[in-house]
Amino acid sequence: MKHSRSQTKIHVHTLSCGKVYEHLCDNLDSKLDSEACRRIKAHIKGCKNCSALLDSLKKTVYLYKKYPAPELPEKSRKKLFAVIRLDKSKNRAAR
Amino acid sequence: MCILTMKILPDHHTDAALIAKVKNGDERAFTQLVKKYEQTVWGFAFKLCRDKQKAEESFQDTFINVFRKIDQFDSRSKFSTWLYTIVANNCLMHRRKRKLDGLLESFDEAPDVENSEVQKQLAAWDDSPIETMMNKELRERMDAAIQELPDEYKVVFVLRDLEDRTAEETAKILKLSVPAVKSRLRRSRIFLRHKLHDMMTA
Ligand SMILES: [Zn+2]
Repeated sequence: MKHSRSQTKIHVHTLSCGKVYEHLCDNLDSKLDSEACRRIKAHIKGCKNCSALLDSLKKTVYLYKKYPAPELPEKSRKKLFAVIRLDKSKNRAAR
Repeated sequence: MCILTMKILPDHHTDAALIAKVKNGDERAFTQLVKKYEQTVWGFAFKLCRDKQKAEESFQDTFINVFRKIDQFDSRSKFSTWLYTIVANNCLMHRRKRKLDGLLESFDEAPDVENSEVQKQLAAWDDSPIETMMNKELRERMDAAIQELPDEYKVVFVLRDLEDRTAEETAKILKLSVPAVKSRLRRSRIFLRHKLHDMMTA
């Protein structure tokens, strides 16, 4: 029992940082509960680089999410419907 | 139809009903469709172009295309996927016209994370709330950084991280494989992170 536990520990430390990031890529906030995920979680906890990287990546995404986007201008909406009406009448005339 | 079934009907079906009406020339149904998706199209176009005027052009072109090509839409597929495809094609078209300038290739061939960022000693980012850090200088840096991404990468980042589309839907929209979507997302995030790094560690 003791033996197998220490083996798992060795595995945690041999997991490369690049591999860790690859696994996290799909979902930066993914719930890590599978065996592979628990190993990744353990690695991040013990690796300053990986935790700094993960944190900064999350913040990067968050910053872009929070970037204020302008409202759709009302004139743009009006213009669209004007063009569509013109398009329709043109089609009718062509028929 | 009773209210209960209306409630559990997925969006997909309500769209299909609306689109069937548009196909029959129902102008009011088209107005409803525009109202439902105008923010999505406008927001997505703006995030891609990062320019109000270009986003406006893209907004117009997209819905005119929807109106003209609605007969080509297969009602079994998701309307939003089709819509995103039209906007993406619209925004990426300008670049394709100019022909690729080698930027995309240099991105595709650049070493992935295993060999770059993660190998360095990384300084941790400032822990202040993001909202308090959002100033003009940072916004300008963010604009410049995302504009430096090749469009084929930028569109993946916007769809996955800003529009919250799944990897599968993003792949469908861009006609890419899922692994290609994942790799482009990874590279885009690393690239943007790198461009903001010095402002966030001070
Ligand atoms: Zn690590």
